[in-house]
Amino acid sequence: MTVPGPGRRRGVGLLPYALVSPVVLFIIGLALVPAVFTVVQSFYRVDALDPPTRFDGFGNFVRLAHDKAVVGSIGNTALYVLVGTVLSTVLGIAAAVVLHKPFRGRSVVIAVLILPWALPGVVEGILWTGIYDPNAGLVNGVLSSLHLGGSGVLLGENRLVTIALIELVQVWQIMPLSALLVLAALQLIPDELYEAAEIDGCGAWSAFLHITLPLARPGIAVAMVQALIMTLNVFDQPYVLNGAASTGASITEQTYFISFQDLDFGQGYALSLSVTIATLLISLIVVKFVYRRVDL
Amino acid sequence: MSRTSRRASISMRAKTLLAGLAGLTLLVAGCGGGGTSGGSTKTQGVTITVALSSEPPPQSVLAEFTKQTGIKVNWVNIDWDSLQTKISAAATAKTYFADATNVDWSRVGQLSRLGWFYPMDTYLDTKALAPDMPQLASFTINGRVIGIPYDASFMVTTINKELFRKAGADVSPKTMDEYTAALRQIKAKGVVKYPLNIPFAAAEGLSTYWYETTHAFGGTILDQAGKPQFAAPNSPGYKAAAWMVDALKSGLVPPGNINVADTQGQQTLMAKGQVASTFSDYSGMIGTIYNVPASSSVVGKVAYIRTPGVGGVAANLSNPDGIGIPKQAKYPNAAAKFISWFTDAKQQTDFSGVNGPEKAFPSYPIPSHLSAVRTLTTKGGLVGGAALGEMLRTSKPVFEGGAPSWYPKFSNAVYTNLHAAATGSTSVSAAVNAIADTANKLAAGS
Repeated sequence: MTVPGPGRRRGVGLLPYALVSPVVLFIIGLALVPAVFTVVQSFYRVDALDPPTRFDGFGNFVRLAHDKAVVGSIGNTALYVLVGTVLSTVLGIAAAVVLHKPFRGRSVVIAVLILPWALPGVVEGILWTGIYDPNAGLVNGVLSSLHLGGSGVLLGENRLVTIALIELVQVWQIMPLSALLVLAALQLIPDELYEAAEIDGCGAWSAFLHITLPLARPGIAVAMVQALIMTLNVFDQPYVLNGAASTGASITEQTYFISFQDLDFGQGYALSLSVTIATLLISLIVVKFVYRRVDL
Repeated sequence: MSRTSRRASISMRAKTLLAGLAGLTLLVAGCGGGGTSGGSTKTQGVTITVALSSEPPPQSVLAEFTKQTGIKVNWVNIDWDSLQTKISAAATAKTYFADATNVDWSRVGQLSRLGWFYPMDTYLDTKALAPDMPQLASFTINGRVIGIPYDASFMVTTINKELFRKAGADVSPKTMDEYTAALRQIKAKGVVKYPLNIPFAAAEGLSTYWYETTHAFGGTILDQAGKPQFAAPNSPGYKAAAWMVDALKSGLVPPGNINVADTQGQQTLMAKGQVASTFSDYSGMIGTIYNVPASSSVVGKVAYIRTPGVGGVAANLSNPDGIGIPKQAKYPNAAAKFISWFTDAKQQTDFSGVNGPEKAFPSYPIPSHLSAVRTLTTKGGLVGGAALGEMLRTSKPVFEGGAPSWYPKFSNAVYTNLHAAATGSTSVSAAVNAIADTANKLAAGS
């Protein structure tokens, strides 16, 4: 057996660092530097129409807090997060449980299930614009043929209905990933546990509650966090389906309007920073309450 | 050290160096691509990038331009919203994006204040162009021309003559009262359930509809200082907002239109004969949508009418697309040559297809030159050409003196508040007051 000399060990020791350096530099250049830049600039007045850039303390945050459109969008986004995270997690768990058991054509079902996740949000928005079209859409066509719903279901008319309908489109997009994440966790649960439970007289529902759910918690936590991030940053679906209407505008939409329509980048930075902090905090809460280390 | 271990050590060092260099290259590449403000004056043997939200003209036509000038054109088609974002992002970062790109009439004030585009009057004789190109006024601010209009879009009233006639309604109403009476008659006779199309979705199309309606009621939106002219209940702007919302509440407009954008309304309502009229439609829609059998069931039935006003017909407001040269252009002089060629009257006539389909620019609605419109009308190449030519001649910019620099924020307030009034979540009065408050704050610079 050949024992490598000290020089050879040093060489090997440097190579891995050198190999990962492109990725590290990439992350520093494309994530870390912009993040630090955003934090710093959010305390400056950076308005293309009101130069020069100058220190403004918490000015951007104060103006955002007094902006009715921004405040309204915070409420809307909270509803998107609530509806989207709950629905995508519940449906994701249900889909994962169904897919966990082998059946004929299972791989085809998984492939079909993942399709909405692979589609860009804008494409989905355009697709559902046709489905929700108040004059010629599928939903109102069905309601009308069944003599239900009076003037039909109208996006933009009522805040709750609008947000629920828009979020349904996003859930359609993010649920497949939730399902796959939970499915991966389910596949780690040994069959012996279910067999032992069955011998002890445990029914399917009881096994789901006392074996599946607790042991799938790591996967469920990750699924909830990804749903949370997606819903907190929802943009494509409300923008395409409901425009800038106050009944459905999200925080990310407001960030876009403030930054690229009003060219007030300082407020844009401040709003982006606020959303990032909110995402981090809520994600931590979810992980704390849902995630449990599981040793199988 | 043996030769083998030495070779291995050198090889390891080489790999390490290579990996480090690769990382450095990536970083340099990522940080590269800085600004090129100033550009080259070269106009021969260069390739310019033209970014517009449109399919390119035929390759043979672009090749002919290259043959004439020695300038190659790289045409980039980007949707309008993304294009505006790219223009802002590139200009803010002072990076090259295109040599010639879209200048929207609504951003002229903003672009002028920001100095993001070269004044076109330094490249072209815009004073000589003005008499034949009435919409040049929409791109002129503080005496400088920011862009050259390449299509003559303006707001215009369209009616489905067949539906109007079926109801025995006047097919050429001259006033708002006559027009409203005709719509009510169509509804009363049951010819269609909802005769009027107003796109109430919270988007730019709702703002422009209100501007045109305000103009028809005999007023303007803002004065030269940017002060709102619509806050008083007896003002034309207030009456226009009330008329639009009342049309929805009284059943002249389909209830679903609270979430219908302008293009959706044209394609699913007017083109399918579900409504009888769009008060503030866009010029060129008959040729590009309503008379296209593949997408329309009202071919030959829709006509442009002179826009009804208070005491007679009203002028039409301009809504044109322009093209200009960003300050970071690599070849501004070459871009100016392209713009001169692209907006030339003869070229526009060719684009319209009357001189052969091989020269036609498929998504081209109406020339911005009056002389080109006249040529088209004479040759029968423009549906409603005579009427459109007259409307184009008398068309006016939405904002005399150019759109204010804060227009995008103002427009956002317009369409979100009018949409809210349409949904019933606020009153017309509250909506108009909120829009006026926004305008006052923006005009005061706060």
